[in-house]
Amino acid sequence: MASRRAFLKSGGLALFGVGLMGGIPAFMAEAAASEKVPSLYKRKRVLVCIFQRGAMDGLMAVTPFTDTYLQAARPTLSLSAVASGRKNPLIDLDGKWGLHPGMKSFEPLFRDGRLAIVHGIGSPNNTRSHFDAQDYMESGTPFNKGTASGWLNRAVGLLGHDAATPFTAVSLTSALPRSFYGDNPSVAISNLQDFAIQLRGNPAAANTAAKSFEDLYDQASAGLLRDTGKESFEAMKMLQQADIRNYRPAAGVMYPNSPLGNSMRQIAQLVKMDVGLEVAFTESNGWDTHFNQGTDNGVFSRNVTDLSNSIAAFWRDLDAYQDDVTVMTMTEFGRTVHQNGTGGTDHGRASCNFILGNHVAGGQVYGVVPALATENLEDGRDLPVTTDFRSVFSAVADAHLRISNDRVLFPDWNGKKAGVMKG
Amino acid sequence: MKWIIGVVLAAIMGFGVAPKPADRFRGDDEKGKSYRFPWQRAGLTERQAAAHLLSRFTYGATPGEVDAVVKMGLENWFAQQLAAQLPDDSLDRILSRYDALALSNSEVVETYPRNGQVIRMAIRDGVVDKDSVRTDRKEYRQVIQNYMQEKGYKREQELFRQFFCQKILRAAYTHNQLKEVMTDFWFNHFNVSITKNDCAEFIPAYERDVIRPNALGRFNELLLKTAKSPAMLYYLDNFTSSAANNDAMAGRQQAGGKARPRGLNENYAREVMELHTLGVDGGYTQKDVTEAARVLTGWGVYPLGQAARGPQAARLARFSDEQIARRGFVHEGDFFFNENRHDKGAKVVLGHVFPAGGGYEEGVELLGLLAHHPSTARFICHKLAVRFVSDDPPATLVDKMSKTFVEKNGDIRQVLIAMVTSPDFWSPEALREKTKSPFELAIGAVRSLHATIYQPMQLYNWVARMGERKYYYQAPTGFPDKGTYWINTGSLLSRMNFGLALAAGKIPGISVDLLALNNGHEPESAEAALLTYGHIILPERNLDATVKRLTPMLNDPELTRKVEKASANAQAADSTRMDVQTMQGDQSDPMLAQVVGIIIGSPEYQRR
Repeated sequence: MASRRAFLKSGGLALFGVGLMGGIPAFMAEAAASEKVPSLYKRKRVLVCIFQRGAMDGLMAVTPFTDTYLQAARPTLSLSAVASGRKNPLIDLDGKWGLHPGMKSFEPLFRDGRLAIVHGIGSPNNTRSHFDAQDYMESGTPFNKGTASGWLNRAVGLLGHDAATPFTAVSLTSALPRSFYGDNPSVAISNLQDFAIQLRGNPAAANTAAKSFEDLYDQASAGLLRDTGKESFEAMKMLQQADIRNYRPAAGVMYPNSPLGNSMRQIAQLVKMDVGLEVAFTESNGWDTHFNQGTDNGVFSRNVTDLSNSIAAFWRDLDAYQDDVTVMTMTEFGRTVHQNGTGGTDHGRASCNFILGNHVAGGQVYGVVPALATENLEDGRDLPVTTDFRSVFSAVADAHLRISNDRVLFPDWNGKKAGVMKG
Repeated sequence: MKWIIGVVLAAIMGFGVAPKPADRFRGDDEKGKSYRFPWQRAGLTERQAAAHLLSRFTYGATPGEVDAVVKMGLENWFAQQLAAQLPDDSLDRILSRYDALALSNSEVVETYPRNGQVIRMAIRDGVVDKDSVRTDRKEYRQVIQNYMQEKGYKREQELFRQFFCQKILRAAYTHNQLKEVMTDFWFNHFNVSITKNDCAEFIPAYERDVIRPNALGRFNELLLKTAKSPAMLYYLDNFTSSAANNDAMAGRQQAGGKARPRGLNENYAREVMELHTLGVDGGYTQKDVTEAARVLTGWGVYPLGQAARGPQAARLARFSDEQIARRGFVHEGDFFFNENRHDKGAKVVLGHVFPAGGGYEEGVELLGLLAHHPSTARFICHKLAVRFVSDDPPATLVDKMSKTFVEKNGDIRQVLIAMVTSPDFWSPEALREKTKSPFELAIGAVRSLHATIYQPMQLYNWVARMGERKYYYQAPTGFPDKGTYWINTGSLLSRMNFGLALAAGKIPGISVDLLALNNGHEPESAEAALLTYGHIILPERNLDATVKRLTPMLNDPELTRKVEKASANAQAADSTRMDVQTMQGDQSDPMLAQVVGIIIGSPEYQRR
């Protein structure tokens, strides 16, 4: 695949222009004329965030398997770290923590020190409403609903340079997520292939129309429509040129055939195309396991398998780009320590999250998780929140994207960053 | 039964009442003094002024509507829109096919249980075993489906589908366009969201009973009614808010079957000041927020649906509303003020003292105080000016409107009159200055083409794809009303694709007859089509640049041949799919469809 970087290295803008119908993209011409050139074409660091909607049961994903209180609280929802014949055992990480067997693709990443886990992570606001908790986590202001912007949109504003391309912040979702609300440029694309002028069943008509549209927008009197129009067509050509339809992941990499797998594959495409991606977002659904969540089999197991396989495939697919990318998962809260009457768990407080990257101080389970005796639980029922999600998010944003202005990123917060990243 | 109250209430509020013929067509304000629109001073022709007026107060001019407005007089047209009493018989007939639209909140809760509730009920009724719940299994889903059918339950998504459809149909077809535009404005101002499960099922009645009937009324009424509606009470959590230390009674009072932790919740109090009234710089403090939250404790929802058969409802049913009222409780429709949860201490909000021992009425007083605050006048008038004039409206205009807002006691009609009689409304800086939202674009295009909507859902989905998933905006701010929010690379391409798809008849459920727009005359060439249809679709706009830019391309003989050949191939492919709607659309001339599609997707059409 021809990347922009490759073009630049092999002869600069002129050669790049040849491949495009409309000549040199305006933002590149502008960039060439401005002083920003060196920073623009530096390889970009990319933060990929995955929101697990519905609240993941952190205690089943990463289990403190020596805790007898937990085993007692979950008579039919516990896994052991010892193979017993009937059930797949947990993956023993360090004698205390067991990774769910569905996440075996995470094990090598953890052992290599690339994958970190933070347990007991959550929000200081004790709401157990999905909506409110997601809203607070995505706005980054756990006690203020009126915050108009999302934390990732503010992160884009703090990158220290103008958005160089339309693909600076991309959400692989059908609508803009709350995390992306705000004034800084960001775009929701559910499918990269849709990023084109198209008419169902009549591609030739779409092609001729595209030319007309491009001319019209080029001459539009309204600045916003003219500039965005130009960008749209440039972005479209970048994707067309990359032949996204026939994307082939790195040898041996198989993405799960799931919405998350498809999203991660497309994020990998954008990373490899060097189209200026810096913040990517996508979601994984179905974590609200009130009924029969299962153990080594069942809904929960399928979910963690999809999550870990999608991320692991993405990681292997990135190949030479791994140094540039950090992946972080998040979920609005955790679930009750006790199983409920229908083989599931109800809304709780703390959960855990995963951070993957070469700059991550991985191979460790961070955070404070007390013995799960009732007196140690929040409200006598839930894993207490011992790490504010903002201390982890800000640490990752700082170390990976060099965003240190926490007053803007997380107003109302002045805690300490979690030490989950290297140096 | 309590739901009857809801129905009666709905009837009183005007739902289902036959519209009276409009009797005040003249541009009179309250005192009978007539007003004139100062468009001439801005150098506009009357037709240009009419087109501008239509672009701001309707979802888009239909073919010939500019002439109609000029004929009846611009001021008369506006007065008629303010009165909002034009009969809508054909729209009402279409809407009568949707059986969920008139349901009360109680009926909605009884008929459209949430997915999780259905499973719990099925377990309770022994239909499924609690250990075999597998929502991912087909056989299991079938059992649940049968159970729902037997019980007369319907999927919640069906309620929303009907609700989305009515939104599209009303916007496209009502003759009382301004009322519908204002309904959209106020809904967005007092935003609630389907993404929040707790409030989702109450949103249809919220728009129908709270927003639409008051869209052209008084601001304080609108504010009070939103505050008391189940949708808002659940969306911003005020239903959970109670005095921090309460007597034992409160613990037992559980409305709506929801577990309600005791204690103060400030969400609503904060947003009512920041987003609904004063604005973020409106001059209040955190202390005011906390105190306001205390004033509003005890505001909640009367037991609905299943809860209406629960213990609290049984206790309440022993008393008449009058008896309840004597004890300091208030029951009005779905609203319930629970005296036991109310904080009875003294409070001070914005310097106003609420003495100890107050009840429900002090909340009403507080909202009245906020509604009439000068900061509120400015905040609301600025927002209205952004909606109707430009993304950055002149201060002189906002000042004038704010003055009217204060003097006329928050009368929304008077504020709109103040706006439209101001020269700023007609200034060159305001013309075509607004960017259509995706909803305005889609509905406007349907109106421009006189398209027929058989099934509105595909249109709803297109609007969502272009960036405006109606009723799903998560934050209480509502969608930002500015061009820079709506226009980005992805959404812009979707807008162009929408134009092409609509004109080519490729949106299932929408039928377009392009030839009929031109009285059945087929244009002689692509260039002629551009001129003719440009003026039908974009009346009173200067299309010179568009025509100049496109003409060479449209005159290319190769182009017509290519488009027709491509379309013939596409049609052959389509017909094997037996897509009836598509076939209807494809009967028109492909070159004409292409030209019209380009007009709809053009930069000029994105503006209003």
